[in-house]
Amino acid sequence: MDIVYSVLPPQFLSQVLVGLSRTTILFIVASGLSLILGVLRIPNVAHGSLYMIGAFVSYSIAKLFGGGPSSYWWALLITPFVIALISFVVERGVFQFLYEREHLMLLLLTFAFSLVFGDLVKLIWGVEYKSVPVPGAFQGFVPLFGGIPFPLYNLFLLCVGPVVALILWFIVNKTKIGKISRAAAVDREMVGAVGINVSWVFATVFVIGCLLAGLGGVLVAPTVSVTLGMDHTLIIEAFLIVIIGGLGNIWGALLGALIFGLSQSLGILLWPKFGIVIPYLAVVVVLLIKPTGLLKSTW
Amino acid sequence: MLRVESLSKSFEGFKAVNNANLHVEKGEIVAVIGPNGAGKTTLFNLITGVLKPDNGKVYFKGEDITGLPPHEIFKKRISRSFQVVNLFPRLSVFENVQIAILSREGKTWNLFSPSKKFAIEETEEILERVGLIDKRNRISALLSHGDQKVLEIAIALGGKPEFLIFDEPTAGMSPEETSRCIELIKHLSEKMGLTILFCEHDMEIVFGIANRIMVMVRGSTIIQGSCEEVRCNKAVQDAYLGGGDECSV
Amino acid sequence: MKGNLLGRKGLLTGVIIILFLFILPFIFPRFYIYMTSIILLTGLLASSCNIALGFGGIYQFHHAVFYGAGAYAAALIITKSSLSPWIAFAAGPIVSAIIGLIMGIISIRLSKLYFGMLQVSLGSLVWVIVYRWYSFTGGDDGIHGIPLPEILSSANGAYYFTLFITGLSMFVLYRILKSPFGSVLQGIRDNPLRSGIIGVNVKRHQLMTLVIASFFAGVAGTLFVVVDNTVFPDMLFWTLSMEIVIMCLLGGWFTFFGPMLGAAALVALRTFVSSFTVYWALILGILFTLVIFFLPNGILGYIEQKFKKGTEVSVDRG
Repeated sequence: MDIVYSVLPPQFLSQVLVGLSRTTILFIVASGLSLILGVLRIPNVAHGSLYMIGAFVSYSIAKLFGGGPSSYWWALLITPFVIALISFVVERGVFQFLYEREHLMLLLLTFAFSLVFGDLVKLIWGVEYKSVPVPGAFQGFVPLFGGIPFPLYNLFLLCVGPVVALILWFIVNKTKIGKISRAAAVDREMVGAVGINVSWVFATVFVIGCLLAGLGGVLVAPTVSVTLGMDHTLIIEAFLIVIIGGLGNIWGALLGALIFGLSQSLGILLWPKFGIVIPYLAVVVVLLIKPTGLLKSTW
Repeated sequence: MLRVESLSKSFEGFKAVNNANLHVEKGEIVAVIGPNGAGKTTLFNLITGVLKPDNGKVYFKGEDITGLPPHEIFKKRISRSFQVVNLFPRLSVFENVQIAILSREGKTWNLFSPSKKFAIEETEEILERVGLIDKRNRISALLSHGDQKVLEIAIALGGKPEFLIFDEPTAGMSPEETSRCIELIKHLSEKMGLTILFCEHDMEIVFGIANRIMVMVRGSTIIQGSCEEVRCNKAVQDAYLGGGDECSV
Repeated sequence: MKGNLLGRKGLLTGVIIILFLFILPFIFPRFYIYMTSIILLTGLLASSCNIALGFGGIYQFHHAVFYGAGAYAAALIITKSSLSPWIAFAAGPIVSAIIGLIMGIISIRLSKLYFGMLQVSLGSLVWVIVYRWYSFTGGDDGIHGIPLPEILSSANGAYYFTLFITGLSMFVLYRILKSPFGSVLQGIRDNPLRSGIIGVNVKRHQLMTLVIASFFAGVAGTLFVVVDNTVFPDMLFWTLSMEIVIMCLLGGWFTFFGPMLGAAALVALRTFVSSFTVYWALILGILFTLVIFFLPNGILGYIEQKFKKGTEVSVDRG
């Protein structure tokens, strides 16, 4: 091990793991965004709001179940479905009437919703910070890489990422809805012409995408202070990830999240003051080389 | 004036234009005919630089213009109209034509003088010629389909062309609009001395106004010649005209 | 032609509005003078964005960057150098224009949504730098109490300066739109392909448009320094950019004065709504949704449609 450490210092390895657990959150949120962009062509700014609402809802559910160490599991189980329900109502109630409008209008509409969602959160939960308990089994730290303590919960996140990716892969490639939505992404008229109700396909994809945003919110909740405005930077990051990965491409979202998450954590290690600039620079570099994203876009 | 030599273009293996040959002399009206999918529009796109050919050469007045970008071709005084209406929908009829003239004269970088002062006479003259002067202030998206097709031609004229290419100029027009459009094309040729290349499905129009005809089938030139030669050609009759013997020579 | 005053009635309205703006400080209390100054400069900001967005068809999604950059450039020159504030005021717009040029060169290769997203990522980079560089920009505190020349330090002085510069800028923008360049720009918006075919260098015209738009955003930013004496990083944040786009939409983005009207409506609404509730964003969000559904051409666009039947048309720019 010492040979490894002489090349790659333990702080570095530890920071890579931090970056990877950050990647998990970014990937889950961005893949939902990418799914909605790819199939419905909606640049959904309200996606970040659903992530924030996910975090707040998980706080309330955890509190409802006593707020103890195990209450988090209930939150993890229930919250995504609450978010799915909200997004279902929004999609059927408003968004479905605007699919034919240009992207700019959709962008503004979703921005309007993000304003509404933001204030609703303020109305329901107030402006104070909230904290969500770390689940019992993952409290505390483990010594890793030369004894540097590493939060157990982040290890949990590292395992969740691949699981979500696998489930998504299965849904997109192996299920009927996945196949239909991939076809609809390429040619919606054709899918409509063969007798499939495109409107409901869109609704389903939208709900799945938003559910991922909510899931991201629940997963991140124990690691941060849950607060208003947590949606603002995340949505930009998620959009950048989707863009550098290739619009609508879920593996692109994974690749983009890796680039963003790792450059963020390593940037902070190398250059504490301006580390946060590094991922943005990375995005610009990627886009200079491949303006339409690294992987094939579905557009 | 225009010479196309063994021009070819394929899309993912499909040979849209395959070894096409064509020559047009100054002052002529030449028609390209052929069944749907014969590659007529692709041929026009290759000549006007919208597409780049895989093989072959295009010469204009002896100069090699193969593969030049569309705006260079435009500057060589080759203008075209499009099969599908391709206008500036939110601008007025007048502005549609004026833009082409401004561009030709290199005035597009003038930021501070009102456009109202530029190219008024020339624009009005063109609109007069094509018969759209009464509708000069109408928004072009609100014109009838026939008027939009005529406006297409008017924009092309804004480039002060010597050579005009019309892609199915009368497609979708009513019978009156069609006869007006034919008169316009004849006028451009006779009064302005312009050289015209066009493609058209309506054989009556083709034989009515063309000096010569080029027949394209599956991307290749079958024959090029006068109307009579084409009408009498056995291959053309088999492939396209349906075999009827209308030969009068 | 779009963006036109509505004939004689429009001219009369314009004269009345200008007269009103001139005598406003004599009638209304200080608070309204401040608010009107903010409306004017925000209106200029939205109008400059709309040059690219409504008239150029360019998805300028992060216009706030140029506003903030101009404001920061002016503020930093005033506070960190011994140069005259007037030089700082001139430098603000120029810095914005240069940033606009650089960002434009990088992103103009792409179109529509991709272009907008690249603007957002480059703009976020600028924002992050301003936000994190505590020692230079003051980080998230911003810079406060920026000293101004004597003549501008009173509310009225700042107001008349803002009124004059905004008026002048709007006049220049109007001239540009009515120039051959402006005609060609609108042609590019309507049909970039055909514009290219008739010999227009589409990308270069769009780039010029971006430089013009960011220059005048910088003018607006500099005016903010004059009116408010502060700068803060939220001036470059993407949410403000979205609000700018909404102002354009609200007023009507195929009209010249629409964005100014949209800005006035938004600033006034925010000022009054937030005086009785903290949930003004909720109200604005609902309002925007209604506008998107029922007034897709904005307030002025709707009026034009009503009064000039047959000449205006709603062509969805897909």
